[in-house]
Amino acid sequence: MKSVRERLAAARGGRIPRWRASVILALRMMLHDKAKFVGTTLGVVFAVVLGAQQIGVLMGLLAKNTMLVDNAGADLWIVPPNTEQAQAGQRMSTQLLDQARATPGVAVASPLVMVGTAVKQPGGGTEAITLIGFDLDTGLGGPWNVVAGDPADLRHAGALFFEDAQRDRFGGLNLGSVREVGGLQVWVAGFTWGLQPFGPAYTFGEIDLVRDLTGVASDQLSFVLVTLEPGADPAAVAAELRRRTPGAEVISQAAFHDRIVGSLLREQLGITFGTTTAFALLIGFIIVALSMFSAVIDNLREFGTLKAIGMTNLDLTRMLIVQSVAYALLGSLVGLGLVAFMADGIRSANLAVIVPAPLIVATPAVMTLLCVLASVLALRRVRKLEPGMVFR
Amino acid sequence: MTAAAERALQPAGPLAVDARGVSKVFGAGALAYQALRGVDFQVAEGELVMLVGPSGSGKTTLLSILGCVLSATDGQVSLFGEPLHGVTDGRLAELRRALIGFVFQGHNLIASASALDNVRLMFELRGVSGRRARRGAEELLERVGLADRRWHLPGELSGGQRQRVAIARALAGTPPLVLADEPTAALDAHAGHQVTQLLVELSRERGVTVVIVTHDNRIFDLADRIVRIEDGQIVPSPTLSPSPTQGHAP
Ligand SMILES: Nc1ncnc2c1ncn2[C@@H]1O[C@H](COP(=O)(O)OP(=O)(O)OP(=O)(O)O)[C@@H](O)[C@H]1O
Ligand SMILES: [Mg+2]
Repeated sequence: MKSVRERLAAARGGRIPRWRASVILALRMMLHDKAKFVGTTLGVVFAVVLGAQQIGVLMGLLAKNTMLVDNAGADLWIVPPNTEQAQAGQRMSTQLLDQARATPGVAVASPLVMVGTAVKQPGGGTEAITLIGFDLDTGLGGPWNVVAGDPADLRHAGALFFEDAQRDRFGGLNLGSVREVGGLQVWVAGFTWGLQPFGPAYTFGEIDLVRDLTGVASDQLSFVLVTLEPGADPAAVAAELRRRTPGAEVISQAAFHDRIVGSLLREQLGITFGTTTAFALLIGFIIVALSMFSAVIDNLREFGTLKAIGMTNLDLTRMLIVQSVAYALLGSLVGLGLVAFMADGIRSANLAVIVPAPLIVATPAVMTLLCVLASVLALRRVRKLEPGMVFR
Repeated sequence: MTAAAERALQPAGPLAVDARGVSKVFGAGALAYQALRGVDFQVAEGELVMLVGPSGSGKTTLLSILGCVLSATDGQVSLFGEPLHGVTDGRLAELRRALIGFVFQGHNLIASASALDNVRLMFELRGVSGRRARRGAEELLERVGLADRRWHLPGELSGGQRQRVAIARALAGTPPLVLADEPTAALDAHAGHQVTQLLVELSRERGVTVVIVTHDNRIFDLADRIVRIEDGQIVPSPTLSPSPTQGHAP
């Protein structure tokens, strides 16, 4: 027979079997009460679906407002001071174009005119549009996501690209349909898909046509889009542009994107979505906390037995953490699967639910943290448990 | 004092259990209740002692203290020379894991684990892993006559079968000490007798020291020694001693 000292050493040293035993036991106990297992998992799934879906919709809404900046092809934007959105607004002088073109490191400086106006309908009445006039030679700020027509056709007199999703609203638009904008006749040369910001849908045309349609003077523009020469230092070029154009603001594409996102989040959008997401996480937290606590209460005798036969508080803590992590990962997997499925169903020209890669990584991490925190209640109960209870 | 009474109080050889002057007070102030009053209790290695006494006399309390799941208010206890006082909870868990096999009144098996896994768990807690744990568990289940039931959950076994699994679990890895508190209380007389016999038989085979609390006078003849406790104190009880012809020397 082994000596007492050998036994104590084996019991102290046997960490790996004890780890293995406690991990397997944790999963077993978790799966044993099927109703509770399904309920808890659904709690996590619910939190993931609601939270990730909210974030996905938020991302989609943000993208609606940054897509012009993201797709215009400019490295730097020259915008009116304090511009927070890429929207029709204050106009600036075309002198900025010359100043920009004369700046070392600038490859192209291209004008953009952006004006809110309306299309007269065949049956009477009007529909609002956001008219974007761009320089056809540089192509900067021109249409993207083109689903019909060739942007080169915009060279023809009166040619505009409309948003595909608006065809019905504009009285059944087709390629070649003729409409009236600003008292002049225009015709449909092509369609884009999904280019709808918070305001009226983008409609593209050659810059001089847009000026004629909207009465914007030929020495005025909304934005200057700048691309850099290869190898030019963006920060240095931006600084030099700033020096040369004191009345305007020079901002990099990325910074403009961030500024739009920031201003939207600071306003209602951030609060609305932040609240729903926090609510989703709170509900998930409560469901997991309550069901883990009640699982411990249901199995109090078993936990007491495990303590009596020699498991430590550390072993039992590990068991609850294993369960938390398992719930978090399983719930995240199912939840994200559902969100991806839903995102596909929701996707339209009006709204894309965007589930970005960081969200896919962050969800299991956040849910793990949440579930582990939620197990604290159960943990405290288990740690307090007297092993002597098993004799009662 | 008669010779039998003398024998009832004094074990021979090296001590598995050595409890001296053990007192236990539950609660405090006006509600304080003294469950044990200066108990001296020694068990020699390999000995099988039955602890008897009226309900509320302190049997379970004493067994809990010996089992390192309850601390004494006063007095000194050591198991195989390892003191129990002034040590951490972690150390107590380690002592339980390493030295003690428990058989409780209820079977106290893990409901979500099969008979085999319940026994294997105890091996793993004692630092035995993998195939050795699995084989050990299978052998023990075979020994208690449940080889064909090893994949059954406790809920799918009869009371007697569950208690036999509990015995296999207690003996997993052959701890030097087994403590059993009325292991047959939940069973009918026949099944209870069988279960106790099995526990005694397996323990004897392995040279394990056993302390059993029991009310069942039909199994007294299996004991080396019977110790009676009344009102928190050990009392001599020659009438309960096993007859010398049936007693087994360790
Ligand atoms: N946790 C506790 N708190 C207060 N009093 C307790 C506690 N545990 C036991 N007691 C008291 O201590 C005394 C001894 O209890 P114990 O359980 O040791 O008796 P027992 O001999 O095992 O009785 P039984 O044969 O009925 O199981 C009883 O009077 C009981 O009420
Ligand atoms: Mg009792």
